[in-house]
Amino acid sequence: MSRLLVVRFLSMLPVLGLVLVIVFSMARLIPGDPAVTLLGPGATDVQIAALRTQLNLDGSLPAQFVSYLRQLAQGDLGVSLKSGRPVAQEILQRLPATLELSLLATFIALLVGIPLGVWAAVRQERAADHALRVLSLAGVSMPAFLIALILQLLFGIALGWLPVSGRLSPFDITDTVTGFAVLDGLLTGDYAAAWDALRHLLLPSLVLAAFLSAVLLRFVRNSMSEVLGQDYIRTARAKGMGEGRVLFVHGLRNALVPALTIVGLNFAQMLGGAILTETVFSWPGIGRYMFDAIRNRDYPVIQGTTLLFALIFMLTSLLVDVLHALADPRIRRGPGA
Amino acid sequence: MPPHLPPGRPTPFKQGRLRGVLQRLVLALLVLCTAGPAMARFSDPRDTLVIAVPSDPSSMDPGTNKAEPIGSEIILNVFDTLVAWKPPAFQQIEGRLASDWAVSADGRTISFTLRPGLQFHDGTPCDAQAVKFSLERAKAINPYMRQSLGYIEAISVVDALRLEIRLTQPTAVFLAFLAQPQAAIVSPTAVRKYGNHFERHPVGTGPFVFRSHQPDTSVVLDRNPAYFRGPARLQRLIYRVIPDASTRKLELKYGGVDVGHQSGQLASMAGEDVAGLRRDPRIDVIEMPSQIIRQLDFNNSKPDSPVHDLRVRWALSLAVDYRGLIDGVLAGLADRVYGPLPTANWAFDARLRQTAPSYDPAAARRLLAEAGYPPGRLRLVMYTFQGSLWASVATFLQANFADVGVHITVQQTEFPSLRALHTAGQFDIGLEGRQPWHNDPEAHIAIGYLSSLASTAMTFRMPPDAELDGLILQAQGQGSQPERKVLYDRIQQTLVARVPAVYLFSNRVIVFKRRNVHGLAISSAPPVSEYWSVYKTADGAGAAQP
Repeated sequence: MSRLLVVRFLSMLPVLGLVLVIVFSMARLIPGDPAVTLLGPGATDVQIAALRTQLNLDGSLPAQFVSYLRQLAQGDLGVSLKSGRPVAQEILQRLPATLELSLLATFIALLVGIPLGVWAAVRQERAADHALRVLSLAGVSMPAFLIALILQLLFGIALGWLPVSGRLSPFDITDTVTGFAVLDGLLTGDYAAAWDALRHLLLPSLVLAAFLSAVLLRFVRNSMSEVLGQDYIRTARAKGMGEGRVLFVHGLRNALVPALTIVGLNFAQMLGGAILTETVFSWPGIGRYMFDAIRNRDYPVIQGTTLLFALIFMLTSLLVDVLHALADPRIRRGPGA
Repeated sequence: MPPHLPPGRPTPFKQGRLRGVLQRLVLALLVLCTAGPAMARFSDPRDTLVIAVPSDPSSMDPGTNKAEPIGSEIILNVFDTLVAWKPPAFQQIEGRLASDWAVSADGRTISFTLRPGLQFHDGTPCDAQAVKFSLERAKAINPYMRQSLGYIEAISVVDALRLEIRLTQPTAVFLAFLAQPQAAIVSPTAVRKYGNHFERHPVGTGPFVFRSHQPDTSVVLDRNPAYFRGPARLQRLIYRVIPDASTRKLELKYGGVDVGHQSGQLASMAGEDVAGLRRDPRIDVIEMPSQIIRQLDFNNSKPDSPVHDLRVRWALSLAVDYRGLIDGVLAGLADRVYGPLPTANWAFDARLRQTAPSYDPAAARRLLAEAGYPPGRLRLVMYTFQGSLWASVATFLQANFADVGVHITVQQTEFPSLRALHTAGQFDIGLEGRQPWHNDPEAHIAIGYLSSLASTAMTFRMPPDAELDGLILQAQGQGSQPERKVLYDRIQQTLVARVPAVYLFSNRVIVFKRRNVHGLAISSAPPVSEYWSVYKTADGAGAAQP
């Protein structure tokens, strides 16, 4: 297992190097002097010189790269051109919101996608299977903003059960502890605030979960029906094993291994790619932060968030590999085992 | 029956544990959802006004805010200026921190007297020294104010309540500059305490005290109980950041926000959405004429440009279906502009309604032929900003010009690039706009047409004219409003005859509010609101969630 970890970790290093070079090149690929272009007409020489220093554009390219790496090693991702605040600090401020959303969305997707996938496999080619196929097709093909709008209109406007947008009621102005709104409410004993945060969290999580649930459903259904046709399942049933144990212990465990990759990559994508959902629900997370940065050409923020997403993807892949290995001894023991 | 199950065996799902789990899950979700309305509230919605804004304020410090609307509105509610435009018409200046002022005979010295007992939110006194400190600070560090506060030669403090501002030249518009949010008076003690972080800890004398700012989420202001005009009727203001226009609309209908602005820029809520809100009995849509102008600029300073020829410029201004543009593309949410000043400006020359170009494609074709451009001969690139509504306006004009035989290629570019092209004079025609931050005609005329400013991004490209410059400087200088009006009338007639642009339309300032919100004072330039006089009544859903 530790060998596997080391090998996987080492294989990440060239990717990391490439990502660093790409991120470093971003601000330098703007035609002409990036500082002049970014500041626009009317900028004074002093302002241009200050921005050049801020963007780390002084000196030769290799020297700039070394200085960039040195900054990164100190956790310094530069300063946002828009707000004037450290990018690392701004990312840390927004990360809990995105993490909270992605975790709940993944949880919901697992809760919905796996049981329904199993059910569809068990009821293959029957009405339930057909209905679930239509449902999963809708989940995959409907754009996030449309699902969001439908949910907002249904639960927010028509039924009035859940808030339309935001992370907390605007009237809740309590200070944060960890940045995770639900957790903060629980930690401070303010259960009303925790409840409020959870209610705000539901609709965007459902939107994010819709796609993953649909994909999981199809995936689990297919791999489960494949597994259920295997000899060892037949043997288990022949031995008189209960159907629940056959399905969930012997069947699902094997069917889930390939689904882990889907969950892992989707989780990583949610952390970085929930731009639409975060925008529609006014969710103060990383996706929206990056989107605003791209719109405002805030290069230090674009660089910082790109690097963060690359790291998240790499670490998630590593985690998925580890989980694969835990679930499947053949991977754990390496080739030839 | 699935092939892998033994015949006769019931499917596991019917009797398995899974159904129980699912049942419990659905039950839990139902409980979670339906228990919502019983939730406790955190502050009283009846005393709290929630305002929807599309993004965070870029700066809440008058010293660093560069005419950005959200930050400017917060500044107007946290700080005070020496003088202010008088609501509800916003056409006259009144004293705010200053109780009184007098202009010297030569027009170069203005003596201000402050109200006694003024205090900043941090408890320090707001005196003449603080005013001097604030204005000198804004002049030094805010590039947006460099030119307007550049008229200040010196500020001398007479005593705690009196100060004199000496100007480099007589400037009638100077009081309008002082009424801008960027000239608001800051607490020197707080500026020294917070340094570069003052914009995150703004301390003024205004009706509301800054409480907190959560990036991408909200800015919260609380009532200042010691406000010199009397405490505001609202206990709290909350600016909620809602980037998506359709979510802002839903929140307004739902009661999650009380007030929302339709941004003056051509990039906000679509006309049909505004019409939808207008039909909603819970919502009031307030429309006000603004000082904004949108126009098609001609580069008349480039001798080899086809638009250097007055006949071509005049022909293009006759080719535009102004009514069709306003009603069709802008859903009637704009007003026609007839010349260099919008109709809502006190100096607007009403004669222009008759003499300004009107839609006449036949006359346009004749003029173009006279200028040597028969149909299909003239091809131009039209630069404009990015955004769907800019694109719609550009496409409409493209079709209008095609009707008179002029081929237009539309190129949308980002704001800095378009400004750079304009400054460098590398364009023939550009669809652009001007959004001044005060109501004085000077905001359009001096910046737009004074040849000494000809290389800036905001100036129309035309050959220098000493006589016109003289008129502009004279109107900008001294004199009563009627005296200046005579000069501005002459300037407008001169300019319209030269066709520096096809003057198109002026967006209305549009504010949406829940019907139980009252007392809103909306300024047209800048298009921001003060909430000191605002209150909510119990009728309607208000900010309470259903």
